[in-house]
Amino acid sequence: MRIPYEWLNEFVVLDINPYELASKLTMRGFEVEAIEEYKPSLDGVCVGEVVKIDLHPNAKNLTVCKVRTVKEVLPIVCGAKNVKEGDKVPVAMIGSTLANGLLIEKKNIKGVESLGMLCSEKELGLSDDHSGIFILPGEMKAGTKLDELTGLQDFVFDINVPPNRGDCLSVYGIAREVGSILNQRAKLPMFKLNGLSNKEISNLISLSVKDTEACPRYVLRMIAGVSMVPAPFWMRQRIQKCGMRPINAVVDVTNYVMLELGQPLHAFDYHSLREKRIEVRVANENIVFKTLDGEDRNILKGDILICDGSGPVAIAGIMGGENSEITEKTRDIALESAFFNPLSIRQTARRIGIRSEASLRFEKGIDLDNVDFAAERAIYLMNLTAGGVIVNGKQEVYDKKSSKSIFVNFGKIIDILGTPIEHNAIISSLRSIDLHIVKEEETGFVVSVPNFRHDLDEYMDIIEEVARIYGYDRIPATTPVGSFQVPKNEKRSAYFSSAKEYFTACGFHELINFAFFSVKDIENFLINSSDERFSGIPIMNPISKDYEIMRTFLAPNVLKTIAYNLNRGARNLQFFEMGKVFVAGHDTMPLEYPSICFVMTGKERDYFWRDSCAEFDFFDTKGVLEGFGARFRVQFDFVRSSEPFLMKNRSADVLLEGIKIGWVGEIEDSVLHTYNIEQKVYSAELRFDIMMEKSKINVQYKPIPRYPQVTRDFAFLVEGAVPVATMLEQIKTVSPLITAVGVFDMFKKETKSIALRVIFQSFEETLTDDAVNALQEIIIQKVTSIPGVTLRT
Amino acid sequence: MNIDELRNRIESEITSLKTFEDVKKVKASLLGRKGLFSEYLDGLKLLDRDEKKIFGKEINLLKMHAESRLKELESFYLEEEKRKKEALDKIDITMPGKIPLLGKKHPITQTLEEIIRIFTSLGFSVAEGPDIEQEYYNFEALNIPKDHPARDMQDTFYIKSDIVLRTHTSPVQIRTMESQLPPVKIIAPGSVYRCDNDISHTPMFHQVEGLMVDKRVRFSDLKGILSIFIREIFGENTPLRFRPSYFPFTEPSAEVDIGCVICEGDGCRVCKETGWLEILGSGMVHPQVLRIVGYDPEEVSGFAFGMGVERIAMLKFGIDDIRQFYYNDIRFLSQF
Repeated sequence: MRIPYEWLNEFVVLDINPYELASKLTMRGFEVEAIEEYKPSLDGVCVGEVVKIDLHPNAKNLTVCKVRTVKEVLPIVCGAKNVKEGDKVPVAMIGSTLANGLLIEKKNIKGVESLGMLCSEKELGLSDDHSGIFILPGEMKAGTKLDELTGLQDFVFDINVPPNRGDCLSVYGIAREVGSILNQRAKLPMFKLNGLSNKEISNLISLSVKDTEACPRYVLRMIAGVSMVPAPFWMRQRIQKCGMRPINAVVDVTNYVMLELGQPLHAFDYHSLREKRIEVRVANENIVFKTLDGEDRNILKGDILICDGSGPVAIAGIMGGENSEITEKTRDIALESAFFNPLSIRQTARRIGIRSEASLRFEKGIDLDNVDFAAERAIYLMNLTAGGVIVNGKQEVYDKKSSKSIFVNFGKIIDILGTPIEHNAIISSLRSIDLHIVKEEETGFVVSVPNFRHDLDEYMDIIEEVARIYGYDRIPATTPVGSFQVPKNEKRSAYFSSAKEYFTACGFHELINFAFFSVKDIENFLINSSDERFSGIPIMNPISKDYEIMRTFLAPNVLKTIAYNLNRGARNLQFFEMGKVFVAGHDTMPLEYPSICFVMTGKERDYFWRDSCAEFDFFDTKGVLEGFGARFRVQFDFVRSSEPFLMKNRSADVLLEGIKIGWVGEIEDSVLHTYNIEQKVYSAELRFDIMMEKSKINVQYKPIPRYPQVTRDFAFLVEGAVPVATMLEQIKTVSPLITAVGVFDMFKKETKSIALRVIFQSFEETLTDDAVNALQEIIIQKVTSIPGVTLRT
Repeated sequence: MNIDELRNRIESEITSLKTFEDVKKVKASLLGRKGLFSEYLDGLKLLDRDEKKIFGKEINLLKMHAESRLKELESFYLEEEKRKKEALDKIDITMPGKIPLLGKKHPITQTLEEIIRIFTSLGFSVAEGPDIEQEYYNFEALNIPKDHPARDMQDTFYIKSDIVLRTHTSPVQIRTMESQLPPVKIIAPGSVYRCDNDISHTPMFHQVEGLMVDKRVRFSDLKGILSIFIREIFGENTPLRFRPSYFPFTEPSAEVDIGCVICEGDGCRVCKETGWLEILGSGMVHPQVLRIVGYDPEEVSGFAFGMGVERIAMLKFGIDDIRQFYYNDIRFLSQF
């Protein structure tokens, strides 16, 4: 809400610097997000009185005005048509510079000397109005500086009003809070209705409210014979400063009073109301209604309607109808001021998609006590600005309810806030915001809640008010009493961070992608419809097609990140991501589990002068995975994979205790092409929840052997597709003295040659050559018994 | 026997030496078993006693002399040899070394881990909840009924009419309180989602929620705990203030601001000229929320807080566009 300082000053005496006030308001819960300084440059502009207007002798469209300033009368050539003799106008004197940078010089315009310029509001930088010369209030004295016009210099506060404080969506509402800050009481505007006609409103219009639940208070007032003129400058200026657009005096007054008092108003053209009656009711059927913006709106059963003798003329609190709108021809006005059920207005406004300044305020609840005062105020201002005659009296329906009261315990206030505040200080701070104490006891008090405060329901709300006014900054910072608690469940987050540490130590950068992807990603990865990754959970209102479902696995987004970086000139990339994936569950809630994906493409580094750097391959990726398993003390098994997005010959499923927990391998070329990737990409993805579950983190120390180990190398020729794992398994079964078997070389000519290194270790004695030789023989015998394997000699 | 000839020969052999190899050769040819001295000493046998004595003495003197000269030369050439070898071995230590490749944790992760570290050191446990959440936990149980104006504050992604992507980590408060009795002292880090996508909003981002409920937990304790946290994460001398705010599930509610880290309070674009930056929302748990989970607000009280991890990371690292976190550009990620 935008609040002009100058306007605020009408309700309270602002003997405080605007910036200081802003910071006090902020500390009261009304955050001043910005202060806009209004400082029009009016140097050299003064008030002039037009004494005479002559036609320009040489130009049809121009006039020559004789304008009296301090003591001289200046001839000024003018093109505007709205100036009359006797008007007070702003005169830019020779040598002054206008808001738009125009320098005023002595000029000869078609043979007539012009000594200055009469200005429009726009030329002075006061508004966008350039329809004519700015006519100043008649009481201003010729020769005075224009700066003296009130409201020109101002500070406009942009206040973030909390959503529960609808009562502060007005200048007066804010003034009440400011009053409490400055130890004053905000004063309502004072006025007296003039020019009353001898007509009684009861003879002109009738009112009925069918449902006082929907509309507990409704007031009609009337003014006859208004003219459709622009509102005076001061009113337009304030409306504009508050961010609204001036239209004409009648409409502007309704907006002005809403901004001033927080009461939305609606003006009907009296003559468009059939049967001269207003009926407030709840729609009993669905209908279509044309609002004043020309749109057809669907009214549903339950919406609150304002009707005349033949049907709806407005959607209550939201927008008037085209059929009863104020037009240029309107002369007689029926003005509505009412309180509508906030929830109902909110539902209707949401559904039809209109969030007007009026509905915004009705939704949050307005001041039931202030409904008629606002109507009177508006009628008064219409009379002042648009003329006409005020019709006597009002039509009103008011279903009065007693106001709320709340009991609050003094002890509770102190317990909750953690600081001893004196009872008197509590009482007086509440009084300052119109919360009056109706009963005071030793232990506590009963406070009555004014009708404009819809946010106060129980004792805690009152405690907040006390804290707010006492000042949060005066409440000390303490440490909680009670016993110290040792954090629980730390294992899980420790697992996550050590997994991340493993990957970063291996040279992988961590990614965080959005947890959504698109159906297209599942198709790109050729996921089969029977696969749980096929059915992603759709979002009803996605932000775009790319983010339409929850990701069922991480790889697609990780691959997109690869593509993104390759497109920007990267060539070697190693990334990992840990995050939740989402699949349909057995009951209504989906399953979520943590997954981990890593990816490598290119090579470790482009070059190192001493070494040659090889492109990544399957075994780099598998190695990272095996190391990851070792980190968490689990043993993975690898079997050929049938994942459709992996190269058949260079991929594996990853098993943990016989359960498939993921895959590793080279991504299929066709998949890469859908993401415009043209280099080989190796990747793996695992279920991290299962890994955590199976991980053995309890370490038991094994003594370091006191006897030397013995190493023997073997070379075998292998024909056909004997997996090396089979050979390793065979060797391990030979003797418990074999503590490690490794593959130290592999090459392929006609047949494959595999070189293995076996470590023998005894914990009881130094192994003799004879003993090792005997084992060596068994190894050779066992391995060569595998069909296709022979000893290389 | 010609001693002069021997002396001359020794002299010429020794002076012609050029390398360590030469020294070894000459040593052998002079002092070896079949060397020159042996030859001469053998020759003594043919002489008579007196001559033997005279020549023997001369030869031995010459031999000692030769031995010491050669020893000197030997160590000289050995040194020289070593120097030459070292010169050949010398490497250019200005050539680049091979730096092990090290990846980086995402800046969001780094920030999250730091937040978690601080709160666990203050005795808070880490709790989790689902990202796909029942509307009840995300809203109703947090005192945000349907049609409550506060729902405007958040634009929600819906999965079904009553299932949403959580818009904040606050539902974890409810789930935790439902599953245990006080005392409760948790933080809940995690991803949250809102339908927003522009320079200052991403549809997914991260929050850390905190909750402490026990007998006699006070608003002043909230100030105490959060002050410790802020000073730990932004530095000992960070100015901070608590100001009234509104959240449906806390009462009294407080927004916590820190002195702008960019302009140090002078006013700049980042702090919108106010000198302050909003850093987290907090407040005393609303009695209605306590009642909803079956706690008695007359018996226990508590405080809760929530903060945006991206915002804290942006301030810590000086990042001005939240979307940078999710482009995952290697030139961004490798900086942290």
